[in-house]
Amino acid sequence: MKKQFNLKIVLLSLISMTALYSCSNLELEATDSVIQNIEFTGLADSQASLDGLYGATWGMLGDQANFFALNEVTTDEQVIPTRGSDWGDNGLWRSLHNHTWKVDHGFLLTTWNQLNEKVLQASFIIDPLSNSTSQQIAEAKFLRAFNMFFVLDMWGQNPFREATDLPSSTPIVLSSSEAYDFILNDLNEAIADLPEVSPSAATIGASKAAANFLKAKLILNGERYTGSTPNYQEVINAVNAVEASGFALQSGYFDIFLPSVDSETVLFGNISIGNRIWNGMHYNIVTPDNGGGGWNGFSTLAEFYDLFEGDANENYIGSGQEERRGWVPDASNANNTDNYGVGYGFLIGQQYSASGQPLSDRAGNPLSFSRDFSLTNSNETQAIRVIKYHPFDGTSSASFRSHEIIFRYADAHLMRAEAMLRSGDAGGALAEVNELRVLRDATALGSVSLDDMIDERGRELYVEFFRRNDLLRFGQFTKDWEFKDPASVGDANKNLFPIPLTALLSNPNLVQNPGY
Amino acid sequence: MKNSLLKKPLLILMLLIGSISYGQSVKGVVTDADGSLPGVSVTIQGTTSGAQTDFDGNYTIKASQGDVLVFSYLGYKTEVRTVGSETVINVTMTEDSTQLEEIVVIGYGTTTVKDATGSVASVRAEDFNKGVIASPEQLIQGKTAGVQISSTSGAPGAGVNIRIRGTNSVRSNNNPLFVVDGIPLSGQATTSGGNVIGLGSNPAKNPLSFLNPNDIESISILKDASATAIYGTRGSNGVVIVTTKSGRSKKGEFNYQANISSSEARSTYNLLNADQFLAARTSVGLTNDAVSNAGSSTDWQDVIFRRSTSHNQNLSYSKSHDSGSYIATLGFGNQYGIVENSNLERLTARLNLNQRFLDDKLRLTFNGSISRVNDNLAPTGGSAGYRGDILGAAFSANPTWPNDPSYDTGTLVNPSNLLAYTKGTTNTNRYLANVSLEYDLTSNLKAKVSLGIDKSDSNNFSVTSSEILGLADGIAGNGRGAYNTLDVQNDLLEATINYNKEFKNSKLDILGGFSYQNFKNQGLFSGAWGFSTKDLDLMGSTLQDVVEGLAGEVEGNYQQFGFAPNLPGVFVRGFEGNEFTTSSFSPVTSISGVRSLAVDSNNYNIELQSFFGRVNYSIAEKYLFTATIRADGSSAFPEENRYGYFPSGAFAWKLNEEDFMSDSNMSTLKLRLSAGLTGNQEGVGYGSYTNRSRWNGLNPANDGFIDIGNGNSIVSYGGPDLKWESTLQYATGLDFGFNNDRLTGSIDVYRKETIDLIFNTPQAQPAVTPVKFQNLPDSKIVNQGVEFSLGYDLVESEDFNWSANFNVAYNDNMVESLLGQYDFADVNGPGLTGAFAMRLQEGYPMFSYYLLEFEGYDAAGQAIVSDEKSFVGKSALPNLTGGLSTNLNYKQFSLSAYFNGQFGHYIYNNTANAFFTAGAFGTTRNVLPETLTSGEAIGASAPASTRFLEKGDFVRLQNLTLAYDMPMSGEGVFKSMVFSVTGQNLWLSSDYSGLDPEVNSATGGAFPSIGMDYGAYPNPTTITFGINAKF
Repeated sequence: MKKQFNLKIVLLSLISMTALYSCSNLELEATDSVIQNIEFTGLADSQASLDGLYGATWGMLGDQANFFALNEVTTDEQVIPTRGSDWGDNGLWRSLHNHTWKVDHGFLLTTWNQLNEKVLQASFIIDPLSNSTSQQIAEAKFLRAFNMFFVLDMWGQNPFREATDLPSSTPIVLSSSEAYDFILNDLNEAIADLPEVSPSAATIGASKAAANFLKAKLILNGERYTGSTPNYQEVINAVNAVEASGFALQSGYFDIFLPSVDSETVLFGNISIGNRIWNGMHYNIVTPDNGGGGWNGFSTLAEFYDLFEGDANENYIGSGQEERRGWVPDASNANNTDNYGVGYGFLIGQQYSASGQPLSDRAGNPLSFSRDFSLTNSNETQAIRVIKYHPFDGTSSASFRSHEIIFRYADAHLMRAEAMLRSGDAGGALAEVNELRVLRDATALGSVSLDDMIDERGRELYVEFFRRNDLLRFGQFTKDWEFKDPASVGDANKNLFPIPLTALLSNPNLVQNPGY
Repeated sequence: MKNSLLKKPLLILMLLIGSISYGQSVKGVVTDADGSLPGVSVTIQGTTSGAQTDFDGNYTIKASQGDVLVFSYLGYKTEVRTVGSETVINVTMTEDSTQLEEIVVIGYGTTTVKDATGSVASVRAEDFNKGVIASPEQLIQGKTAGVQISSTSGAPGAGVNIRIRGTNSVRSNNNPLFVVDGIPLSGQATTSGGNVIGLGSNPAKNPLSFLNPNDIESISILKDASATAIYGTRGSNGVVIVTTKSGRSKKGEFNYQANISSSEARSTYNLLNADQFLAARTSVGLTNDAVSNAGSSTDWQDVIFRRSTSHNQNLSYSKSHDSGSYIATLGFGNQYGIVENSNLERLTARLNLNQRFLDDKLRLTFNGSISRVNDNLAPTGGSAGYRGDILGAAFSANPTWPNDPSYDTGTLVNPSNLLAYTKGTTNTNRYLANVSLEYDLTSNLKAKVSLGIDKSDSNNFSVTSSEILGLADGIAGNGRGAYNTLDVQNDLLEATINYNKEFKNSKLDILGGFSYQNFKNQGLFSGAWGFSTKDLDLMGSTLQDVVEGLAGEVEGNYQQFGFAPNLPGVFVRGFEGNEFTTSSFSPVTSISGVRSLAVDSNNYNIELQSFFGRVNYSIAEKYLFTATIRADGSSAFPEENRYGYFPSGAFAWKLNEEDFMSDSNMSTLKLRLSAGLTGNQEGVGYGSYTNRSRWNGLNPANDGFIDIGNGNSIVSYGGPDLKWESTLQYATGLDFGFNNDRLTGSIDVYRKETIDLIFNTPQAQPAVTPVKFQNLPDSKIVNQGVEFSLGYDLVESEDFNWSANFNVAYNDNMVESLLGQYDFADVNGPGLTGAFAMRLQEGYPMFSYYLLEFEGYDAAGQAIVSDEKSFVGKSALPNLTGGLSTNLNYKQFSLSAYFNGQFGHYIYNNTANAFFTAGAFGTTRNVLPETLTSGEAIGASAPASTRFLEKGDFVRLQNLTLAYDMPMSGEGVFKSMVFSVTGQNLWLSSDYSGLDPEVNSATGGAFPSIGMDYGAYPNPTTITFGINAKF
């Protein structure tokens, strides 16, 4: 009896002891991440967060879809015709080019999220609780301004929250003029603390020159955001400041897009240029490290191609083309030592392999890119392709190398010319434009109008993701171009994108843009 | 001791009674075929007085002449003896397997079919599906109304979707909770994920394939809230309780079971052959050059599909003795898939033991198993992008290509090349053990403590050699590989107290308990580039050596490490407390053989702590009441919402026990009513409610360089309001039986309302992450339905028995309330970027198709589709599911057949959308003959539309088994020997044009989808020969 009695006690106490011992407060353990309060108390490592912010920005810019597509495929520079079973994508690309996008277009939500996320990440670095250095704060302000600029440019309103606001709080929404002031203020504060960087490998990060470049861009476009005429002198001053940092025009147009140091690259990113190269190349255009070839998508309108000097139907060496239109290797000059048979600039007509053999398409027809095509049903050989970064970089065979230009001095140079023109200094503007044209082996202009100015920007800066912004500034975003939906021609509502539906639901302070 | 204590008062009492009514003491021994039988209940009919046999089978009871003694014991036929003048009555009892069926395992206990208040179904081993069974749930597919079990593909060990009474949750994790021998398993994966480099990831594997189906004694399915609420936050999707076998045979018995089976594809596509392909090209105006006509003739489906032979063997020994029993089993099998390179090898061992001490008052139970599963994966998967997986590649491959791995197609995937130069293997060890001690504190009060552990370690190799052709990502010429590991451990501590008391006219049963469970999860994920070897096995082992060598060298906490041509030494990125750290070191480990490597890791645990209780009260064995409550705490939720409370109540009325029913031939009539609240916390993940930062992910670029300057970022931020998703279920049911239960059946009606839905929803920007887990305000998903099942013993005779069981369930799913609309179910393939097939929106069932309406082709052969996408009134959820099984026994022969069917749902034929279009033919891809006669132009684009939406209704002869039980003399070595032949998936009736309507490709998207078919691995047709011998 006694033995059993003891056993009961033992068993009961065992149960209660195990229960008590194991009673857990169920707190999280920080075993594989840094866990902080939900109330923002500062970042653990500002520099790593800043690196992360740069990395995320590069990632966004390298994509062919989303940000790039919304800023280029919505213009006359880029078009992705549906080619049989390829690139139909349920109208994803066609609706951008013909201006029939809807509120549920997938790129809109992704880009909205990508840009706005980076704004908050930057705010975390900027917040005093993070104890960031003044340069880290300045770099974060530059990156915040960069991302907010595009939100403003694409949607005309900026949701905003402070780093210290709880994640459950509802962000305020800045009107376009409030956002303009906010971004300008960030840039001015950033310029003071950013390093002075001249042309070098260091232009990978934010610098005084990069911030001045963006400041010029912001002010030049100011009328669209604030409704009042910009102070063009400030644009000129900002570009002058970029120039004072040592940046200048450089000859050898396609060399600028090599990964080497040049005087035009104000800001570049550690961004794989694979998409920039391959999105338009045909499947049978291959290089040693890309046996799968191109993706046969991105093309341009013949009407855009015709902005350049040269033979309208071919682009081999000697077709009378200006430097910026590039050239297509033929049997005589296609080789494995400096071009892999892949052309520069605009690819039209028969294409050749590295050994100088004419290429065929997958159906066995000659791979000869034609001017004309159909938006809804093209074959593989139709439409002119655009290639600015080249798979051959003179150093290695890595055609997907990571070096994409974000800000280029020629853009700043043309912004200054435009500011001069818009503020009445047509002579100064003409001199600036011709300085560039002569360097690019193009005929000097006798006079320069606003129409000349936007065309010059197109010729110099094609597929560098500012075409939408440029067309808007010149009032040409709603003009007619091939394949544009007639109902969208002249529709000013297209100047802003619709706010994605889920974004609207998540923040009642947002108001949908007119027309959507 | 106790007996003698009781004897005195008892004797006095007996004497008193005896002096009045004449009594006598009756005693005896109760035995069965093998010897004495302890624990047999001996009662006097019509009274409450009774006794039990001791462990030698002895009993003593006071009875009067003319009294009727009832001897009953679970699993045996009840014996009845009328007391005459004798004082010794010995009884030999015989086993009765139908008796055992009465027992139903429920949460933290057992009940009987007759006494269950909730909706509980139990399937016992003899009713399990036969043939090639890779994992336990296939054993019960179609056996129970309202339990829809669909395989996601026909690959060995493929994942399975189990839906009990509909789909409640938008994020994943609609599978029920599995409890194996008392251990609730974790809902998360235990095998490390693999990805076929360059072709997306492999689909999820079945987490239960570690269990040897032959070890299983019974599977209980708890359907309504009154049964599942005792599992609280994990009860919403129902609970499946797996109980493994225990030793029964008194003499000791070996059981050897072996089968060999042959599988092949039930059907393949009728693709164009080489001649037809070339002729068709000419007829549509395409020229045949060296690219389009490579001069060979290859049937690519023949190349990738095969007739496979599999085998499976099991040996067990079981024995029971006076104070316990044990069973030891060994299983070994190798199941080869019908797609080349796929097989699943499984080795299992189990020991189940129970031992009674101290006059049976203390009981020790141990259940332990070890398993090893080696899984070779063919490059299949729904997320394979535009090229498709090996199946898509084979369907679309040009039939003029030679069947030669070195043949370079230029830009398309050569299936032979893909098979030859990719390899995916997952090896998983899993240990499951549970030990419990139960003690009778008094005759009414029992206490039990259990300790359980479920531990698995798994690794995965996915390698693509430098000889691969046509894939991007810098693989060609370099090779890429991934070596991933996953260690998961689930520790369980449980303590329960059970109080049991019989009153004059009622019974009370109270259970109280505490449970603590800790789920640890630790894994490495690596990506490597630039292999010096082309040998796939050597690539894997080289990579493993490098990763494990370096992991051993890294000091302190790390998240990532690796090396690359652009970096000196081995870099390490980690944390110390709240600080991020970086460092590098010169390794001792040889890193030759791989030029670039990035390793990432995770390491976390989630704790669950629960208190629960249940009261069962029955009055006059007619009115049964059950109430349960569970308080569940989980570290997956913030402090404010850490505990959830989940009550339930049920009432059952056994009408057949009422006097007014006594004349009826209804042997069973029971009405059940229940209501309860359950939760769902699976898939919410670790630390979703908090502010967590990690280093950003790393991967070697196409040139092998790794960018370690990409910093860190916050991976989760917010959701301080995060709480359980909860489901309120009301249910009522009626069980009936006629003619001594020769005809039985049930009707159940239920309504489930799931609120506070948790899923990844877009955050108000600017936010840290685009989406976060949050409870959607005012969200509600309703499932309501009716279940009906019927069983009838059509013929019962000495030599011939025939029975049939039928079940059917109707479920209606509706998103009754939800803010916003969410697109998901990606459609993959060329020209289908960004295409999706489904939208989640208020007013429509989950998995509703949202598509362009296809209206035919215009004169130019282009598809005519509606201007706008819309809800097309169709969903991927079947609303009618059913099963029909029948068993015939004639003497030594038995024949069983089982059909299952699903109706009312639609399948999106993504395979056809991606590959079987005229446009695809225009790009030198192979198609079906009918593709070219549809009126579609070569060069037309094929948007995702209702053109590819097809009815998914099907009826399948899932299983047909013929068995012969060889008569044994009883003198020889063998006690019994059964030969069987089983056919699985022998016949299918379906209008679906794809290979198999039972399909679920994970094509990607914001939420898990169902009903998508993208190059899915078809379910094979299998013939199995089996032998089962007892000796």
